[in-house]
Amino acid sequence: MEQPVFDIVNLDFYYGQMHALKKINMQIMPRQVTALIGPSGCGKSTFLRCLNRMNDTIQGAHVEGKILLAGKDIYSLSMHPTQLRQKVGMVFQKPNPFPQSIYDNVAFGPRVLGLTQDKASLDVLIEKSLRQAALWEEVKDSLHQNALELSLGEQQRLCLARVLAVEPEVILMDEPASALDPIATLRLEELIAELKVAYTIVIVTHNMQQAARVSDWTGLFWLGELIEFSDTKAMFTRPQKKISEDYLTGKMG
Amino acid sequence: MHSLRPNFDRDLNTLFDQLLAMSSLVDQALERSINSLTERDTAAAGGVIADDTHINEMRYQIEENCLKMIATQQPMAGDLRAIIAVMHAVMELERMADHAAGIAKIVIRSGEEPPLKPMKKLMRMSELSRQMLKEVMQAFVKRDEAGARQIAAQDAVVDRLNKQTVERLIDVMTKHPRAVPSATYMMWVSHNLERIADRVTNLAEQVVFMTTGDYRELDR
Repeated sequence: MEQPVFDIVNLDFYYGQMHALKKINMQIMPRQVTALIGPSGCGKSTFLRCLNRMNDTIQGAHVEGKILLAGKDIYSLSMHPTQLRQKVGMVFQKPNPFPQSIYDNVAFGPRVLGLTQDKASLDVLIEKSLRQAALWEEVKDSLHQNALELSLGEQQRLCLARVLAVEPEVILMDEPASALDPIATLRLEELIAELKVAYTIVIVTHNMQQAARVSDWTGLFWLGELIEFSDTKAMFTRPQKKISEDYLTGKMG
Repeated sequence: MHSLRPNFDRDLNTLFDQLLAMSSLVDQALERSINSLTERDTAAAGGVIADDTHINEMRYQIEENCLKMIATQQPMAGDLRAIIAVMHAVMELERMADHAAGIAKIVIRSGEEPPLKPMKKLMRMSELSRQMLKEVMQAFVKRDEAGARQIAAQDAVVDRLNKQTVERLIDVMTKHPRAVPSATYMMWVSHNLERIADRVTNLAEQVVFMTTGDYRELDR
């Protein structure tokens, strides 16, 4: 059996006194899409942000338990957050391109991390990333156009290309389609299906149909607890816990 | 619990009401077809066949309502299973009505044949099938898994009665060659009743699916 990419063991997370995540245990499998669902404030985004230590800068926040990435504790002193975030990239709810050219947006990470030796190899990496993000054909003749001139759907795919350019292992997506129209949403979902061949994807979504469509595994969070974690087909057709059933059928939420 | 989705609950209740109404028409069709057989009433048999169209239309109407709910409400988990179970159930009910119409057609075709003494076992099969139908519909609306399993177990009794009927009719045909046409018609009746009980078992399987998510063939 394949080893999990992330092995989360007894994870507790606190915002000061507030116990936001309670004894979470979960394994995230390689090259699979894991969806996290649950009502607002249930802890799913907090959990996602624990996976690449995006919560580190929040005052009073602290973590107990372990998050192992390929067997290594990401909260250990030897793990530098920058190094972690190269391996575990993130796409946010609202597209957040830098107010720079399309090219410079994608080149940003590789330049900071010194991933390429010269302009030619950087060009190759940028084209590859934009192709993977299904944006190349639309922008190949306007790479030096300001990224903020792109449509929202294109901006979100650009942000994805920016993540892909640093060659991560895992892509975290926090409600990546919530600002997109239905067509751009479907394109993003198609893209997720293509990307999972090479990447492990964890996606937080409020849209349960989206979780059902794109994911292999689904975790349902409720008041900081992981109520149920199972393969997506089982979760949406025969959930085992009453809370899951009631949430999925809209009897509470 | 206060429902956050009154519209959905109302639509689902309507769907179950329509299903019950349809099952009641199927039960009547079955009763009328068996009565037409015992009374040798070809006019009544014709009525069963004519009314079958109405039952077919009900099936399509309920299926359309299910499709509308799936398309507009995107049901999940237990709700999705309930709607899928209703879609299967209306198909089974519609086929049961076809079997009732099948018996009515036999009554019309056998009108010229000398009457064969009505067989107690056929009557018993018809009573049992109708009872099973009523009970399975109760289990359906109550989402009673255990009840559904018990009803399915009764199918074995109908199967046994069918086997005994067929054996008895073969015996009649062997001893009285002139009775072959009548006995053959009776065999068809017996087969239709046996199939009706099988379809009750299919309905019981839908109750189990709706309540547990398991697709399982129940003991026959």
